[in-house]
Amino acid sequence: MENGPNPVIRTVTMLILLAVIFAVHIIGIVLLLVATIDNAWWMTQNVSTDVWFRWVQQGGVWNHTDLPSGTSYPQEYLQAVQACSVLACIFSILGVFVFVAQLFTLEKGQRFTISGVFQFIACLCIMVAASIYTDRFHLNENGWYGHSFILAWISFGLTFISSIIYFVLRKKTA
Amino acid sequence: MLTFLALASVLLLGIVPERSQAIVIYTGWERHGLVGSDIRLSCSFFSWRWTSEDVTFSWTYRPDGSRDSISIFHYTGGVPYVDNKGPFRDRLEFVGNPGRRDGSILIKNLDFSDNGTFTCDAKNPPDIVGRPSSVRVLVFETVPIQAGVITGAIIGVVLGLLVLIVVIYYLMRFLVARRVFSLSVSKHGKKKKEGPQQRQLWTPPPLTCYPLP
Repeated sequence: MENGPNPVIRTVTMLILLAVIFAVHIIGIVLLLVATIDNAWWMTQNVSTDVWFRWVQQGGVWNHTDLPSGTSYPQEYLQAVQACSVLACIFSILGVFVFVAQLFTLEKGQRFTISGVFQFIACLCIMVAASIYTDRFHLNENGWYGHSFILAWISFGLTFISSIIYFVLRKKTA
Repeated sequence: MLTFLALASVLLLGIVPERSQAIVIYTGWERHGLVGSDIRLSCSFFSWRWTSEDVTFSWTYRPDGSRDSISIFHYTGGVPYVDNKGPFRDRLEFVGNPGRRDGSILIKNLDFSDNGTFTCDAKNPPDIVGRPSSVRVLVFETVPIQAGVITGAIIGVVLGLLVLIVVIYYLMRFLVARRVFSLSVSKHGKKKKEGPQQRQLWTPPPLTCYPLP
């Protein structure tokens, strides 16, 4: 006699759901790390730059230079972008550990609020970083945004979705 | 035996510094200053000998990009001699205390032409073997934000707040648990006190028979 769906199918679907949620979180972390570390926020023919330093191509050779200083490149906003993107990475990575801990310690029927909070803070931080960069830098220059910049905005969306999932999800088994 | 050891150690301590120790001079590594402001260049030294009366301090200046250095200050025989012909005339002041091994100078009204390296050389006779120490002076129009200060500050504050919140949360849980525990103990004690009194007042009810249903 069966009461409800097959318990094996139920455990399998729950495991798949867990794997998907975990994968979304990990992909978010990877995108955040690539956006912070890889040097491709703004690119032109001969210049590839991000929030830390700049690569300039001269005569076929890429040279490493510091970021320009002055009114067109405000130092305070640059350091705020650096800080916020690093914080987003840190909070997302902490969120993974918190999620795993909550998997084992939460009681049945409770929500993963703390993991959701960590992901939400990471989402806010990367949003602040990307917004400041969009608004304050490269306003009148010729060039295009590189892949790290795009990944920063994509990871904003991913971490937002991930945090909503954590706020809505309830723990099914003890 | 003990007296022999004591004498030997005193003798060794007396002989060894004479031959092998040198004087060590300390200045800063780099100093930043605003145009028009004053800057204090500190110089002190370490020596195994007592500060002698013939202690000397001398400062020399080498401008950025130049290979010559000129002498701008000399202290000897208890008298400081400041620059009265060179680029620092009327701008240099001696603010050190040679008795305390401090040979610092004050340069007033900084200008961009003061960018360069200042070298301090101190001698404490008979301790004269030592290496002069240099400090680089950089003059700015506005003091630049050092690389990474704001970044580090933001990250540090946020992480610190996080740690603080976690600590406060666990502290509150711990305190509340303790308070609950102490409350239950006091209730239990009160019950025990009232117990024997109640027994004296309480008389057993009279035995009655109830008709069976």
